Amino acid sequence: MMLLMRVSHSLLSLSSASSSSSSKTLIAPRFSKKLFSSSSSSSSSFGASSAGRSPHRRRSFAAMASNSAAAPAATKRLENADDLIDSVETFLFDCDGVIWKGDSLIDGVPETLDMLRSKGKRLVFVTNNSTKSRKQYGKKFETLGLSVSEEEIFASSFAAAAYLKSIDFPKDKKVYVIGEDGILKELELAGFQYLGGPEDGDKKIELKPGFLMEHDESVGAVVVGFDRYVNYYKIQYGTLCIRENPGCLFIATNRDAVTHLTDAQEWAGGGSMVGAIQGSTKREPLVVGKPSTFMMDYLANKFGILKSQICMVGDRLDTDILFGQNGGCKTLLVLSGVTSLQMLQSPENPIQPDFYTNKISDLLTLKAAAV
Amino acid sequence: MGSNSDNDNGFAAKPSSSSSSSSSQTLKPLTPHTARSLVDSVDAFLFDCDGVIWKGDKLIERVPEALRTLRSMGKKLFFVTNNSTKSRKQYTKKFSTLGLEVSEEEVFSSSFAAAMFLKLNKFPREKKVYVFGEEGIMEELKLAGFECLGGPEDGKKNITLKSNYHFDHDKNVGAVIVGLDHHINYYKIQYATLCIRENPGCLFIATNRDATGNLTDLQEWPGAGCMVATVCASTEKEPIVVGKPSTFMMDFLQERFQIETSRMCMVGDRLDTDILFGQNAGCKTLLVLSGVTNLSTLQDPSNNIHPNFYANNLSDAVELLKS
Repeated sequence: MMLLMRVSHSLLSLSSASSSSSSKTLIAPRFSKKLFSSSSSSSSSFGASSAGRSPHRRRSFAAMASNSAAAPAATKRLENADDLIDSVETFLFDCDGVIWKGDSLIDGVPETLDMLRSKGKRLVFVTNNSTKSRKQYGKKFETLGLSVSEEEIFASSFAAAAYLKSIDFPKDKKVYVIGEDGILKELELAGFQYLGGPEDGDKKIELKPGFLMEHDESVGAVVVGFDRYVNYYKIQYGTLCIRENPGCLFIATNRDAVTHLTDAQEWAGGGSMVGAIQGSTKREPLVVGKPSTFMMDYLANKFGILKSQICMVGDRLDTDILFGQNGGCKTLLVLSGVTSLQMLQSPENPIQPDFYTNKISDLLTLKAAAV
Repeated sequence: MGSNSDNDNGFAAKPSSSSSSSSSQTLKPLTPHTARSLVDSVDAFLFDCDGVIWKGDKLIERVPEALRTLRSMGKKLFFVTNNSTKSRKQYTKKFSTLGLEVSEEEVFSSSFAAAMFLKLNKFPREKKVYVFGEEGIMEELKLAGFECLGGPEDGKKNITLKSNYHFDHDKNVGAVIVGLDHHINYYKIQYATLCIRENPGCLFIATNRDATGNLTDLQEWPGAGCMVATVCASTEKEPIVVGKPSTFMMDFLQERFQIETSRMCMVGDRLDTDILFGQNAGCKTLLVLSGVTNLSTLQDPSNNIHPNFYANNLSDAVELLKS
């Protein structure tokens, strides 16, 4: 019971820190003449009226502030890979931008993973993408020629089901899902009843007098993740459950602003769907995916490992690296995904991983200079 | 319904005027005595619509008589609604259908506010506006002479996620306006996101941020706050808000009709938009319990938005004013 309370408190504190800005309302500037000039259109007037809040990475800033244990030391380029490898027992890898990009494997990944395994390291793959179940991810790894077992994969879809299990969510209660197949599959595997998912993407509503949308009163949790079939029906259903079913939980698989659904461009991420429900219920969700440490705590518990013996490898500062730092493990940023060296070194970036390198195959190739 | 007890009813919008004479420690129901002084001190009444005049398409009881009474007392009436799904013209039609005589000049919808905002800020005519919202916004923009994309039509569009697929967006979009949208879908979220993230200087404007509203007579439905939150999340930016509680519409009203705000009374059902709006502008405020707020929410210790007065509904309030 105590562990449960501690875990949910950390979930709550992280997610509330990340959305502290969402309840603030900007007042429209009064007949401001200079707002839009044809010569230089900048968003600085925007920034001015939002009381100096920087438009980017606000969440990570806030989350950073609430986790003052983060090391102030600047990041170092990885030079001696062996030192890092020898100092940890487990490597956690994000997938998108670290192992693969879209459907293509990043260079040198298979050999690197083989090398780490041969050195007796445990490998775990942690992704915020909730559209697939662990099994479905296992197939993706297989298709790309990597031998990874299901037990080594922790997608946020799995995390949602694992969280419900960890709090003994009653089997006679139901879960309403605003999300895709991966969440449904994991809930089913964990033995929970669910409603919603992709099917509700076809449901329409007509706002006429006398129309009342019914909802199942036995829904005890609403799980929200990335959903390309999001619509008004689902938002209302989820909202009704949260507002009217006593004690109904609001769980988010993750709150990523953007995600690489195709490797060519950015796409609005799970954060949008979660935002919709946060907007209508004015409640903060319990976040199970990165940067919340739920998955880290779960892993450490399951494998009986110390956090100090883990190294988190990811391409995104405000989810992967923050996740690692929040969890108290070592962090390695790779530049093969969404973060560039420029972004890492920008004075506006407060998140400093322990090390950074180009891609994970550097773990294989970077050796101490021969003396 | 009004199960707002978990909510943070205090929007952080700071009052633009320092005269917050409306903050009273005790909550006062309107009485015949206080109603008399209210009538004498006010020249104009501003009404919210959803939850005050109607609920969805159903008129709230005895509203027509109440409005007639106020007019007969020589009071000016204005209707200030955050619901951006209709234009002023379309609202005027709705009033008429429900048997209320209201002229277009008396209606201030957030759809109208959005178009006025762009006009007053000299939004360039060669730029386009992407609308993540309904017909009301599209109409007002066209009336104001702006070129718009999106709106209800994009509600039918889907995305296909294949590796070669590229989601294109118009680089000429200089502003994205987000309002209540029953046809919310991923396509619109993504389009709005790309415009704001990638078109330099693109404005992010919200008609309003109401969490829910009485869009039908029997229950509350997700409001614009929902749609706006999806774009805030994906762009990590805050919008400029033109609807309540922002005083933009009030500034506009004042300029046009030359009335002091201290001689106005804002009548609404929602604390964090209507009442805060009135307080921000220095008006008197009257909360009616016929919409999203019930007495327990109003009296809850966590609520720090106190209207000058409250009454069950508009008709009851006007009865007291008559006596």
